[in-house]
Amino acid sequence: MNIVQEALSSEVYRVAPEGRLDAVTVPALEAVLREHLDAKRVKLVLDLAQVSYMSSSGLRALLRSRREAQAGGGDVVLCGLNPRVREVFEMIGFTSLFRLYDRAAEAAAAFDKPVPA
Amino acid sequence: MGATQRLTVPGKFEHLAQIAEFVTTASRAAGLNDDDVFHVEMAVDEACSNIIEHAYAELTGDIDLTCYVPEMGRLDIVIRDHGQSFNPDEVPVPRLQEGAGLDAVQEGGLGLYFMRKLMDEVRFEFSPENGNTLYMVKRKQA
Repeated sequence: MNIVQEALSSEVYRVAPEGRLDAVTVPALEAVLREHLDAKRVKLVLDLAQVSYMSSSGLRALLRSRREAQAGGGDVVLCGLNPRVREVFEMIGFTSLFRLYDRAAEAAAAFDKPVPA
Repeated sequence: MGATQRLTVPGKFEHLAQIAEFVTTASRAAGLNDDDVFHVEMAVDEACSNIIEHAYAELTGDIDLTCYVPEMGRLDIVIRDHGQSFNPDEVPVPRLQEGAGLDAVQEGGLGLYFMRKLMDEVRFEFSPENGNTLYMVKRKQA
């Protein structure tokens, strides 16, 4: 799976996987997120605009990464969910659990705002 | 009605994409709409991921998929494996109520939760002779 990465600011990093996020491809995404978290880069924008499908293995990876980012004083903020991925998020109540935005720039700006309780 | 279609693949993660293609084609042939086709794809992906991760964690074997179209607008799927069986009643139901917070969300049981959400019927049978059998039905949404 191709995973695009870029710095959006001195502190905020964008991670953008492409294609299907299933049990086969999720470990590659988790490895990328782990590299950032291990390096104390804890403000992450996960851009899902090019993700066509996400299974529960992807959702579990998001939960784990977000817990870790928050423990380090950061967060994992999401953007660009296609209607299928959004439907999956809604089915399991993740739309109220995660901060979701249309575009990466809006997601990055979310780090300047307080985390909702 | 359409013929019965079968696919047998080794119980390995790298075959998930092939499985997805097989059930997507069968769903379209059954006259299901785009939303239904996606639901079937995801439910089968979750089911087979669970089989590979849990049933075949310490064993190796195949996954057999059979798709029937008893009438247009209805797809019946039978998924069989010969790995470790399990008790569906003992799988935790994810706690997902609003406001529960991130720490309250359990990671286990998500796959089964989705299967039940996405499909009209989900039923398991476990027998020493026939292995583990999962029956799922999807009907076309109005």
